[in-house]
Amino acid sequence: MSVDPEFETLVKLYYQDLYRFGFSLTRNEADACDLTQETFYIWANKGHQLKDLGKVKGWLFTTLHREFLQMSRRQERFTDEPISDVVQDFPQVSADVVNRIDAQTMLKVLGQIDEGYRAPLVLYYSEDLSYKEIADVLEIPLGTVQSRIARGKMHLFQLLTETNHSSCQSK
Amino acid sequence: MNTSEAKERLVLYRGSIDDADPQFEEALAHARRDPELAEWVREQRKSYDTIRSKLREIEPPSDLAEKIIRKRPIPFRRGWTQILKLAAAIIISASITAVSLKLWQRESHRLVQGKEIVVKGEVLDMTCYIAYNMSGPEHAGCARDCIKRGLPVGIKATDGKVYLLVGTNWRRRESLNSQLAEYAAKTVTIRGKETMRDGFAQLQVEEIRKS
Repeated sequence: MSVDPEFETLVKLYYQDLYRFGFSLTRNEADACDLTQETFYIWANKGHQLKDLGKVKGWLFTTLHREFLQMSRRQERFTDEPISDVVQDFPQVSADVVNRIDAQTMLKVLGQIDEGYRAPLVLYYSEDLSYKEIADVLEIPLGTVQSRIARGKMHLFQLLTETNHSSCQSK
Repeated sequence: MNTSEAKERLVLYRGSIDDADPQFEEALAHARRDPELAEWVREQRKSYDTIRSKLREIEPPSDLAEKIIRKRPIPFRRGWTQILKLAAAIIISASITAVSLKLWQRESHRLVQGKEIVVKGEVLDMTCYIAYNMSGPEHAGCARDCIKRGLPVGIKATDGKVYLLVGTNWRRRESLNSQLAEYAAKTVTIRGKETMRDGFAQLQVEEIRKS
């Protein structure tokens, strides 16, 4: 079967970003590969329905996230606290502390954060998406996205601090 | 805006990505006046950049792109206008066949109607099959949608011969498409009368059996 060059270009452009997002959600290479493949498969079937081609990236991320939610078949309830409550307890983590942590540990730490916070957090850190775009990808309100990112970020910083302490103690 | 309120906003600030976002404007102006807050923002951004670069170190398996492109079947991009035109062409062609057959039968009652045959084979969405050669389990979802939408349905016999299916099951009062949609890309056995027109085979369905 011949390969659609547009499809090939699209795959090469976004498969790494999608895989990264899938991997941070599932923490499993095979599942992340499946999610990425499935996302492009759905694109091949339904991508023609997208009128605004400028929204391809968002469409792909939304699709992958939907597939992930279907895969996990559960959507937990989250408390969406106001950002002001979060900031009061916000731990500072210096770039030096983060630098001491390798990518695998970072993923492990991220994996300890609830999925509802993890997905917006990963999009916040790894993709150049605006808050509105992140809200569109995850299909949740803008305020909820910002609250979850702030909350998730606080949790991440706490975990990074703990990880850093325990690695210092073990030396 | 005081420093604490500015921090509430800036905890989400990522630098250049968010520069155009008006929600940070006032808080950033405040940070320009408050050196301590400015230092806090710098530290936040540094840790943001470091976490971002760590996360972007994650690489997919080297063969993933190739797998997606080569190993998964890549259905065509469908233009529904084109498909509907094609469907219309098939339906018109089938209707002409049916009307011609009726007229022919009226003129000559002694002529025997189509021969009754039993065909076992795969249920096809004729539009995709004829236009794009799409069939088989990989195409089942699309075929089911097309058949449900009322596009022409056919059967590909085990010997490779393809029949356009026509008729209604009056006993079940269901259209052929609604009966066959669930069997898209699956094997069924159909009993019916075969008719031919200019090499185009159609099967007037009498009975559908799961195979």
